[in-house]
Amino acid sequence: MSDILAVNAVDVTKRYGALTAVDGISMAVAQGEVYGVLGPNGAGKTTFLRMLFGLIRPDGGTLQVLGRTWQRDGTRALDGVAGFLESPRFYPYLSGRVNLELLAGLDGGDAPTRIDRVLDTVDLTGRDRDKVGGYSFGMRQRLGVAAALLREPRLLVLDEPANGLDPAGIRDMRALVGQLAASGLTVLLSSHDMGEVEQICDNVTIMRTGTVVYHGTIATLREQAPEPAHRLSTSDDQSALALAAGRPGLTVLALDGALAVRGSLDAVDAYLSAVVRHGLALRALSLQEAPLQSLFFMLTETSPETVPGSLDRSPTGARP
Amino acid sequence: MTATTSARIREVRRPGAANRRPGTPTALRWELRKLAAQARARYTLLGSLLAPVLLVLVLDGQQRPPKDNIYGRHIHDSGYAMPLLVLGFAAQWVFPLLTALVAGDIFASEDQHGTWKTVLTRSVSRTQIFWAKTVASVLFALSVLLLLAASTITASSLIVGRQSLVGLTGQLLPSHAALPLVLASWATAIAPLIGFTAVAVLLSVVSRNPAVGVVGPVVIGLVMQLAGSLGGLDAVRHLLLTTPFESWHGLLTEDRFSGPLIDGLLVSAGWTVVCLAVAYAVLRRRDITGG
Amino acid sequence: MHPILKAALTGGLALAAAASLSGCGGTGVTRPRLESALAATFANLYVQQAGILGYSGVSVAQIAASAACDKGGPRVADAGPGADWICLVTFTDHKQGTHQGKFEVQAKSNACFVAGGPSKLVGLTTITDTHGNDVPNPVFEFDGCFDPRA
Repeated sequence: MSDILAVNAVDVTKRYGALTAVDGISMAVAQGEVYGVLGPNGAGKTTFLRMLFGLIRPDGGTLQVLGRTWQRDGTRALDGVAGFLESPRFYPYLSGRVNLELLAGLDGGDAPTRIDRVLDTVDLTGRDRDKVGGYSFGMRQRLGVAAALLREPRLLVLDEPANGLDPAGIRDMRALVGQLAASGLTVLLSSHDMGEVEQICDNVTIMRTGTVVYHGTIATLREQAPEPAHRLSTSDDQSALALAAGRPGLTVLALDGALAVRGSLDAVDAYLSAVVRHGLALRALSLQEAPLQSLFFMLTETSPETVPGSLDRSPTGARP
Repeated sequence: MTATTSARIREVRRPGAANRRPGTPTALRWELRKLAAQARARYTLLGSLLAPVLLVLVLDGQQRPPKDNIYGRHIHDSGYAMPLLVLGFAAQWVFPLLTALVAGDIFASEDQHGTWKTVLTRSVSRTQIFWAKTVASVLFALSVLLLLAASTITASSLIVGRQSLVGLTGQLLPSHAALPLVLASWATAIAPLIGFTAVAVLLSVVSRNPAVGVVGPVVIGLVMQLAGSLGGLDAVRHLLLTTPFESWHGLLTEDRFSGPLIDGLLVSAGWTVVCLAVAYAVLRRRDITGG
Repeated sequence: MHPILKAALTGGLALAAAASLSGCGGTGVTRPRLESALAATFANLYVQQAGILGYSGVSVAQIAASAACDKGGPRVADAGPGADWICLVTFTDHKQGTHQGKFEVQAKSNACFVAGGPSKLVGLTTITDTHGNDVPNPVFEFDGCFDPRA
């Protein structure tokens, strides 16, 4: 792979009046990498991706895509780049195939056989002559992937590809994204869902309110993740809560008619044994949320001071 | 998704192939194809072909001709009077509306469908898209004008006849002289029609709302018509985009005059250039956030 | 400002200024223009009427039509559009008799006008041609236009 970065953003900023949608974001995505941009809705992910595609003009910073910039190269900055932003949109009065033909034309050439192949890839072959106006949300999403593949990209940008899909659609879309990632493409995947990203991405940037709160590998992130939280229900939660007092490495809180138990596996085991020994019956014990998910929520929802200080928040640590 | 998807993806991907550049004619061809797929554009063209025939039939059956409009009183005397009556009438709001149906929508509909991001993330520049849409709008306007003129003149000469036409100094114009003058009169509508197309393009780009783009030029046309009919506003009258629609009068007088025709060309060109320049600058600079 | 935008605006304004200057000098509807257009139009149409009625030897030159117009009485300036123009048209008929009649003229801002003359002078809405058919009287009420710059 070339050593030109697929995406090289330095201190990119976008303001809308008083609101700073993207505040000094830096990001480096190597070619061949599968990179995740995570954050809740409104974190600035889509604004950043729109700047990458030249749809929005940044107010500050530099943004290089495969070594090209919008200021210098104009539309050429998109050579080798394809993808979609938010839900992909097409002309409803044209068929799926004609929409693809149009976009292929705007890419500089028609390629009927390639259109057949990308339609096949996203399983739209039977419906390609129907007007897009009659497509379901999931079909439009898949047509969006087809339209991106049609461009034969080296960098594929997918913004919330599973957003708005039903469970079967989410499963299929994740499988497709996984296969695209495995095929050697550079993929920039944005999502608000940790689960969507952690399986396929090597590196992630986590954003909140326009700034980067984490930058690094999924593996490092996993190490930073808090101990798992369990939801515990007993025959007498009051007594069980009292038993937790003074136990090292264990936090137990009363929460929504049950107890939230957080601690190392050893500490939790010892605590549960003690609860049973004191004659209380266990009624339910379940893992409350995945550790990475908890960390993600801590990073993006709590106030910044409570985020563990050990996390690498400098964007430079992202290079693999 | 099947197990062979990965293999197919590899087959589809031939990295580095996406470096070709589409020409503006390609973008134009696709704008025209999109227009052809829209019921609105098709019905407008069909209406431009059929409505004049109906109008000529209805007017021909009138006992009391519409004397308030120029050439209204002559519709039964000569088949060349009706096209001039229709031309004068169309200038009031029909021309602005017909061109705005497409030009007022062509940019704003991308906002409506959320498709700006779809086309602008390919290999075309905003400049290419701008010119493709503008040229497509102008071609559509000219097609409408051509159909209206051909349909009105043909229907009228078949239904009413090809009698001599009374000129605007009362002189009698024989049939062979009247036809070229009627055709030339319709041709004078080209410049202001393009001007109104540019106004519609500007409203379409700035408002991002098809309704504003379509209705706006009609309202502007009516207001200009009203302002132009008032006395004492002659300096303003010269700058209005509706004034050139009447410049054909000079072709039908005994001593022809071309002052209003030349002014009309200049004024139409001025409106066209200013509107298109502002529209272009706005489109180039705007952030595409919707869709 | 964007350079292209700036150039276009400058160019557009220059064109507009040129167009408005070339049409300067107030209204295009003036008394001399209206008088000559009305006389010429009347003469042409009177010849047509004579043809319909079967009078021979009538020509524009022979009629020698002239018009004298006034707008809205002595206190109003004789210029500009309005329905209050009164024009005295003088002409010679095919029997060499000289006639005069007051025409009511509505002048429009677009340098066109509608004129109507007294029935005893120009006849009724329809006239009877040499074959005995009723046809529209071309002189009864008529349109005309003139050059607003000439």
